[in-house]
Order: sequence, then C-alpha cells, then structure tokens
Amino acid sequence: MSHNNANDPRQPSAARPFKAPVVSPQDLPVDYSGFIAVVFGVAGVMFRYKLCSWLAIIFSVQSLANMRNMENDLKQISMGMMFAIMGLVTTYFGPPRPASRK
Amino acid sequence: MAKPPRPSASPSHLLYLLSLLSLLIIHLSTTCVLADSHFEGFEADDEDEALDSADSLQFSNLRSPPVSQSESPPATTKLTPSEPDTATADPTQSGTPDHPPTSPDLSKPSSTGFDYWDEDEFEGLPFLEQHQQQPSEPSKAAEDAVGPQDPSPDPKSTPAASPAKRSYMVEIVCGSFLIMFAINYFTGKRENENIALAWAAKFATKESIFEKNFSLLGVGEGEDSPLLLKEGQNVFKFYASGRRYCQGLLATMELKSRHDLISRIYNLIVPCKDEISFEVYMNDDAMDNVIFAVAKKKAAKGMQKELRDLQRFAGLLPPPGGRKWVAEELSVISESKEVAGDMITEAVLDQVFGEKAFEKFGKGFISMHFSDQHPGGHSKMLLFKFTLPDVNNMADMTRLVSLVPYYIDLVGRYKISPQARSKTEAARAKAAQEAHKELQNARQEALQKRKLERKKMMEEAEAKLGAEALRKKEAKERARQMKKSMPRMKMTRGH
Repeated sequence: MSHNNANDPRQPSAARPFKAPVVSPQDLPVDYSGFIAVVFGVAGVMFRYKLCSWLAIIFSVQSLANMRNMENDLKQISMGMMFAIMGLVTTYFGPPRPASRK
Repeated sequence: MAKPPRPSASPSHLLYLLSLLSLLIIHLSTTCVLADSHFEGFEADDEDEALDSADSLQFSNLRSPPVSQSESPPATTKLTPSEPDTATADPTQSGTPDHPPTSPDLSKPSSTGFDYWDEDEFEGLPFLEQHQQQPSEPSKAAEDAVGPQDPSPDPKSTPAASPAKRSYMVEIVCGSFLIMFAINYFTGKRENENIALAWAAKFATKESIFEKNFSLLGVGEGEDSPLLLKEGQNVFKFYASGRRYCQGLLATMELKSRHDLISRIYNLIVPCKDEISFEVYMNDDAMDNVIFAVAKKKAAKGMQKELRDLQRFAGLLPPPGGRKWVAEELSVISESKEVAGDMITEAVLDQVFGEKAFEKFGKGFISMHFSDQHPGGHSKMLLFKFTLPDVNNMADMTRLVSLVPYYIDLVGRYKISPQARSKTEAARAKAAQEAHKELQNARQEALQKRKLERKKMMEEAEAKLGAEALRKKEAKERARQMKKSMPRMKMTRGH
C-alpha cells in the first residue's frame, strides 16, 4: 500500500490552505449542562435552595469546560453562572428564610 | 512534535480522591447521628418547636437576661415571705436538663407570674450564652463540623446546635467536588493532548504516511504551521492537502471527555472510545458514480437507515460465492456488486479486511463510506472512522491509516463499466427529479402561505376600519357599479 518515489502522489500546486468551516449557532450540539445550570440557578434564586445554587455552579463549570465556540456558548454559560452566584449570595448573605409555622 | 509525549497521569489518583471524599462524608454523617442521639425519647412536636425557637432567635441583637430579675411586666400577685420559691416554680422549667424549653421566646422564662425567681431554676441561660458565642466564632463552628467529635452525647447540648453542624454538608461535598473537577480538568486535558500528539508524531511528522502522501500538512499557512487544531478540550483536527485525485483531507479526533469529571463518571457506566474520522474531499473529475460502505454489522444497518445516499441508492450485499470476502463481523453496502467487488481488492483483504488480518489489525475499524452523492457542502467524499489506541500503541493502527491513501488512489483511478454506469445514472436522474419536485412543492407551499398571510392582513385591516368607513366604501363601490351598468353614450356636436 505504500508508494515509491518514482510515482509520487504529492502535488504542491493542488495544495489548498485550511479554512475552518463557519458553524452557525443552529448547527451546534445542544449544551445540556448549560441549560441544566440555568434551570438550577433559577430554582436556587427563586426558592433559595443552596443545593440548587451549588449544582448550578457545578454544571456551569462543566459547561465552561466543554465550551467550543466562545461567541455562541458564552451567553448561556454566563447566565447560568450569574444565577448560581446570585442564588448563593442571597442564600448566605440575604435575610434568613422565615421558619415554617405550625 | 517528534519527541515522545510525557506519560499521562493515571486515573488511580482520581479514585483515591473519590474514596477520601466518601470516607469524609461517611464520617460526617455518623458524627451527626451521634450528636442527635439524645433526642430519641422526644415527640416530634417538641423537636419541631425547639427548632422553631432556635430559628426565631436573632443572635445579632440578643442580650443576656438578668439572672435574678424577670423581664416580664410586674405581676399583680405578690409573694409572701412565708411561701417558698420552689413551691410556685413552673414544673416545666425545673425538669431534667435534657428537655429543651418549649417556649418560643427563650429570653423570657415560661413562668412569668413573679418578679424574682431562683437562679438555679433558669435552665435556658447556658443555651443562650452558647448561641451568643456562635456568630462571633464561625471558624470554630466550621472546625466542629469537619473535625472529629466526641461520640458521647453532651447533656447540655440542645437541638439547635445540630442543624448548624448538618448545614455544612452541602458546602463540603460541593466544594470538594469542584476541587476534584479542577484537578481532573488539568490532568484529563493533558491526557487528551498526549494522545493527539502521539497520533500526530506517528502519522504526520517526517517520513510518516501523510508526509509521504501530501505536500501541505497542518492547519495554518507556511512551513511552521501547527499540525493540529484544538477545537475543544477533546476535539483535535488535522488537515492535509496537495495530493492527486483529492482537494484535501481533514482528520478529526474525538476523544473521551477526560477533562470533564461528570462525563468521566458517566463513561464508567456507559463506556465509549476515542475515535478518529477522516474526510477526504475528492476532485469532481476524479470520482466516478460510486456509493459504497463497509462497517460492522450493527453499524451497517444503522448507516443504511440513517444516511440518505445509502438509503436511496445502495443495499446490503450478501457475501459472493467463489471468492475471498470480508470478515464475518463486517457488512458491505453498495450500489452494485461490481463496485463492491472492485473496491474490496486482494491487497485490502490481506492487509485489513480478511478473516485473519481483521482479528489482528482490524480491532480499531468502525466504518468506511465512499459516496459521490454525499449530502452537504461537498458531494464527492470518502469517509473513514477508526478507534484510537492508547498512547503507547499508536503503531497498531498503521494499517488502518494506510487505507486512506490507498483508497484515494483506487477511487481516483476507478471507472465503472458502461452497463453499471447506465444503471447508476438512471438512479441519479430519478433522484434529481424527485429533488426537483420537492423543491417545486416547497416553493408552491411558500407561495400559498404568503397568499394566506396577505388575505389575513387584508381582513384585519378591514376589521379595524370603522362602520362609517365601511359605508363609504360600499357607497363608492355602488357608484362604480352604477357607472359600469349605465349605457355608454357618445356625445356628438351637431354642426
């Protein structure tokens, strides 16, 4: 299957430099972890569950680790991260939740 | 690039970290249970009320009550000297020290009928002092939550102290998980880079297969261009161009998400492999009417259902009698038997696809798909998919990689017989007609939609117009109709 030098398959004249294909946001794979981060972040802020906020942080970090396209992915990741941080801030530094009365 | 890559960090340290974390969690959970052991004899109501009372305390503005004087308003009944103090004391207050006070406000004693009471009978004072110290010493509370504790239940401890210990569990678990995630991110990233570099060192450096076959290697322009393009932490691309019969080749390595701890845990349950796929963009004049694929049996069925070109033009071929054929594990999908016979040569069977060769060298083979009707930007393409071996065993896939230049030449030179050509061209013409019909239908649908939208717009506009405007419109229309119905008379001037 190898080629000898007499029959060299290379053609420098036919060489074309690499052009990265333009990927539209619709064709990108779905960022599930980013979506989950936003969901948990919103839940953490609204219901003030610190576990939700922590999970939102974890999933947004995962989304950040798996990010490919800076422009397209960063919106969702930053939103998830913001909600998560807001949730943690309100949980730890905000006024305490009223105790459940019988 | 030619340097041997550094050995990647083994996943044993990850397991070690996980085990440490689990031990910590178990230890904490047991200490929490031990701390709560002295609540066993209580009713649920008492416990809830005690927790409520702990919640209702405002530690920031809490001041210790005077030991000898009640803060309740002065009582109407006065205590005579003859009556002993203990006789009138509230029995709930003078109980065992284990019982928590059930009143919602702990700064006031429950027996509020007297201005003075005995110092010994106020049970809640140490509890309050304990809580007063807590906000000023958060670090101590954290140490208590993490550090080892005495399993013997403290008689003075109260139910409000245990939730403080329990509340740090989430933070400890999530914080340690994030730390492990960060460590794993860097180690996994390095592992993936090592695999990609090992592949490039083996197949894309000097005197390697791709260097002998392509004049331009790498993703940049010029001689010092990088060989690999890192698209993600687990996706690497290699580009080569400047070869006969083809415009270029793009190899995409999709590795396991080793950098992502969650994906790594998921991959322990659902295993996956590192893959490399080659896309060869053939010249339009170099490739004849060829639709052909080889894959493992399960994958072949899936490919034929999913891929449009295989679905339309090709079918699964049974092994032909009287000649050597591919290994039993593989299936061949082709437009015609002639094409399949010409594509599966003796050399290929001896090197990779034969029964004996496939056992040795075909472990990493996934699929191979050639098509002149490929959906997408480039219609004439050769696609190869292989699994990547370990960093130290890259040589195992040498024969698989050498299939790529071999098939570029074979397909580039290949010309089908006139009989087969007439069949394939008829099929392609039919497909083109169908595509044209689909386009026309789509256009007609679009036109109809536009018409409907216009109608709706008109109706909405009419509905908006008032009753007077409608009357005027009707009057105008009547006048117009009257004019039309009137007989036309020519006015002639008589001289």
